Amino acid sequence: MTVSATSTASLPPGLVVAPQLPDLLLPVKVRRGVLGFLRSHPTVAFGGALLLCLVLVGIFAPFLGTVDPTALAPAKRTRAPSADFWFGSDLLGRDIYSRVLYGARISLSVGLSVALLASLAGLAIGLIAGFVRWADSILMRVMDGLMSIPPILLAIALMALTRGSVGNVILAITIAEIPRVSRLVRGVVLSLREQPYVDAAIASGTRTPMIILRHILPNTLAPMLVQATYICASAMIVESILSFIGAGTPPTIPSWGNIMAEGRALWQVKPYIVFFPAAFLSVTVLAVNLLGDGLRDALDPRMAKNL
Amino acid sequence: MLSYIVRRILATLPVMAIVALFVFSLLYIAPGDPAAVIAGDNASPADVERIRQSLGLDRPFLVQFGTWLWRILHFDLGTSIFTNLPVGAMIAQRIEPTLSLMAITLVLTILVAVPLGVVAAWKAGSLLDRTIMAFAVFGFSLPVFVVGYVLAYVFALELEWLPVQGYTPLANGFWPWLENLILPAVALGFVYIALIARITRAAMLEVLQQDYIRTARAKGLGQRTILFIHALKNAAVPIVTVIGLGIALLIGGAVVTESVFAIPGLGRLTIDAILRRDYPVIQGIVLLFSFVYVLVNLLVDLTYTLVDPRIRY
Repeated sequence: MTVSATSTASLPPGLVVAPQLPDLLLPVKVRRGVLGFLRSHPTVAFGGALLLCLVLVGIFAPFLGTVDPTALAPAKRTRAPSADFWFGSDLLGRDIYSRVLYGARISLSVGLSVALLASLAGLAIGLIAGFVRWADSILMRVMDGLMSIPPILLAIALMALTRGSVGNVILAITIAEIPRVSRLVRGVVLSLREQPYVDAAIASGTRTPMIILRHILPNTLAPMLVQATYICASAMIVESILSFIGAGTPPTIPSWGNIMAEGRALWQVKPYIVFFPAAFLSVTVLAVNLLGDGLRDALDPRMAKNL
Repeated sequence: MLSYIVRRILATLPVMAIVALFVFSLLYIAPGDPAAVIAGDNASPADVERIRQSLGLDRPFLVQFGTWLWRILHFDLGTSIFTNLPVGAMIAQRIEPTLSLMAITLVLTILVAVPLGVVAAWKAGSLLDRTIMAFAVFGFSLPVFVVGYVLAYVFALELEWLPVQGYTPLANGFWPWLENLILPAVALGFVYIALIARITRAAMLEVLQQDYIRTARAKGLGQRTILFIHALKNAAVPIVTVIGLGIALLIGGAVVTESVFAIPGLGRLTIDAILRRDYPVIQGIVLLFSFVYVLVNLLVDLTYTLVDPRIRY
C-alpha cells in the first residue's frame, strides 16, 4: 500500500488537496495497445490469427503450389490424395487442393461483404426506425415479415430469381440478414435515447443529426461489430449451403459448396472430395465465431456475463 | 386471456400479409413469361396473348395480388410449371418425411440441450461447463452437411450401425422409420442443440442467483429438485422463446439434410424446384414454411402463461 505524496505547490492559497486514500485494491495490470488487448483476450487472438491465416491463404493461393483450379485432366479422374494431388482430384480430374485454396477467396469475400453490407443497411434502417416515429412501425412490420421467412429459404427464393453469381449470392444473403441487424440497432438506439446525456444534448440545442453522429453512433459500434462477425460466419455457411444445393455460385467457380456438391454423388467411395472443402469451411467458420465470441466478451461485458 | 389471444393473432396478420406480398412479388418479377411457357414452343403470339388474358396476367399488380391472395386463402397454391400438378398436392406428398425429421430433431434437441445447459449452469466455470460451451461453439461452426457426412461415414459406412440414407414411411413400422432418421436428426439438431444449450445456461445462471434458490438450498432441498423444479421452471420463458425462434434453423437445415441423406421430403422438392425454376412450387414452399414458423412462434407466445403463471394478460 502506498500513499502518494501530495504536492500543494501549484495550488492557489486557500485550496487544499484531499489526501489520496491508500490504494486498497490490488494493482491490475492494464495491458495497452493492440498486443495488450490480444493478450488479455486470447479467444480474439486465436480466432483472429486463424482467420488471418485463411485470408492469406486465399490471397496468395496462386503461389502455394496450386495449379489452375479449373484445369481439366480427364485421364487423372478421382485420384486419391498423393504427392501429385495433395487432396486428390475430382470427377473431372481437377486438383482439389487448388480448388479448395481458391475456394477460400469465395467464402471469405462472401462472408466479409455480407457482414459489411448487412451492417451498413441494418445500421441505416435501425437508426431511422429508432429516430423517426412514424417510420418505426412501418419499417419494423416489414422487418418482422422478412424475419418470419427462414433466412436460408429467403436466400434460396431470391437466388431462384437471378442468375447464379457471386454478387447475387452476396445480395441475397445480405437481404436475408438485414432484419436482424436493424432490430439490434433499433433496440440500442431506443435505449440510448433515454440516456441523460442525450437529454442533455437535446436540452443544449444539439441538432438531431449531430446527436446521432456524436452520441448514438459510437455506442452502436461495439454491438454492431460483434453482430457483424456472427453475420460473417452465418453468411459463409449459407453461401456453402446455396452452392451445395445448386442455387449459389455458378458451378464454374470453385467455391467450397460447389466442390462438395460435385463430390456428393461419389462421397461413399471417394469421401476426400467432400472432406477437404468441408474441413476448410468448418475451420474458417470456427475462426470467425471464436473472434465473435472473444469480441463480445471484450466489448459487451453486459451480454458476455452469462452467455 | 382470450382478448390477448385474439390480439396476438391479429398482430400476426400484418406480418403474414407482408410475407404474402413478398412471396407474390417473387413470382411477379420472376424471369420468364408463364404464359409463353404454358403455350409451348409452337404457339403464335396471339395464342400466348390469349393465355395471358385467361390467366389474368395482363391485369395490374394489385389486382393480380388480390386474386392470388384469394386463391391462397382457399388453400390453392397454384400449379407447378414443370409437372402441371397442383402445388398443394406436391407438398402434401412430400411433407411426411420433412415433418418426421423435424419432429424427431425437436424432441432430440430438447432432451439433450436443456439438461446440458442446466448442468453447465450448475457447474458454471468448471471443466464440464467449459467443455459443454466449447461444444456449443463447434456446434455453431459446423455446417449441417459437414456433420451429416461425418456421421454417415462413421456410423453408417464404417460401423454399419444405421442405414446410410433413404427414408421409410411411418406406415411401414416405427423402428424402420426411426432408424433412417436418427443420423439426419442428429446432424440437423447439432446447431439447434448448441443454441438451446447456450440459452438454457444463460437463463439458468440468471435464476440461480435469485433469493428463492438460496431459500430452497437453506431448507435442505435436494440439488435435483432445486435445479429442475425451482430453477428450470423459472428460466423456461427465454428457453421456450429460443426453441420457437430456432425452428428457422431447423427449416433451413432440413433442406440440406434431406439432400445429404437422400430423404424425399420438402427439401428435395425445393432443390428440384430451384433447378427447374419452378416458381409456383418455390412460392408454395416458402409460404408454407413461413406460415408454420409464424404459427409456432404464436403458440410459443401463448404458452408463456402455462410455463410462467406470473405472466397474465
